[in-house]
Amino acid sequence: MGFRNLGLLGSFAKEGLEKAFSLGKFFCFLHVTDTYLVTFVVTSGPSMLPTIDLIPTMFLGERISTRFGKVTRGDIVIIRSPQNPRKLIAKRLAGMEDDTVTYISNPDEPDKQETIVVPKGHVWIQGDNAYKSNDSRNFGAVPYGLIQHRLFWRVWPIKGFGPFWKH
Amino acid sequence: MGFRNLGLLGSFAKEGLEKAFSLGKFFCFLHVTDTYLVTFVVTSGPSMLPTIDLIPTMFFGERISTRFGKVTCGDIVIIRSPQNPRKLLAKRLVGMEDDTVTYISNPDEPDKQETIVVPKGHVWIQGDNAYKSNDSRNFGAVPYGLIQHRLFWRVWPIKGFGPFWKH
Repeated sequence: MGFRNLGLLGSFAKEGLEKAFSLGKFFCFLHVTDTYLVTFVVTSGPSMLPTIDLIPTMFLGERISTRFGKVTRGDIVIIRSPQNPRKLIAKRLAGMEDDTVTYISNPDEPDKQETIVVPKGHVWIQGDNAYKSNDSRNFGAVPYGLIQHRLFWRVWPIKGFGPFWKH
Repeated sequence: MGFRNLGLLGSFAKEGLEKAFSLGKFFCFLHVTDTYLVTFVVTSGPSMLPTIDLIPTMFFGERISTRFGKVTCGDIVIIRSPQNPRKLLAKRLVGMEDDTVTYISNPDEPDKQETIVVPKGHVWIQGDNAYKSNDSRNFGAVPYGLIQHRLFWRVWPIKGFGPFWKH
């Protein structure tokens, strides 16, 4: 009886290992797609109103433009926060390298404008909601290397489903 | 004759596709290992003399410490350049966030020291070769999110093979 159970156990183990391998292969495929092509992104928060609602909203984000340096002014990107490397933030690219950006640091004083030239290899990001956005007006230009994805398609909520080009 | 060739073509195509799939699965596995665990890194250039020779040198770089925030002062890391997002640099971490770093911006004038506090979410990197290194003394503190790998094992040249801990 012991020998028969051992045989059964062996075949269970083999089946389990095979399924684990399939799962592993599937995960690898997902991960490569996620890193190089396209991934789901969920945003939340008020800093991109009215373009993006503050409720959790799901988008498709792609990494092809970011890798080839094809993102431009007006694109909405997911970028790793320079203040906390564990946080990802969704902001609009307001200036590329060598651009001259004129911004209002405090929206309650619209006359106090400041101008800055974006250094090489950096970008200037701003949230559409100037009153409630922690962005380059606070922490300065950020290195291009922190950009993760470019949002190009809104998935959820359903009523907003569709292309998400320049707004 | 046409029909038989079509059958042969079909089986070649099928075999080609299967091999392409196997190659694809292998690439996915390599990529996941590369992104999350360990990868080969080749460095060249004089900015880390005498620790790293200027000839092309191969290392193992790991991403586990970087992902969990466990890199510390003294580690040698591969970091994406804030000046050019397509370039990777190998430098030593000299200061973590909230550290006070005192440095000499020009090694020809060793008395002119400058002090700076590293902002939150940033690190201060310097090459061991103060005369020929483009690092934080030039472009300031860099966001932690740009760190890619931590070098921990020297692979090539053979005479240097072995652990690459704090030097």
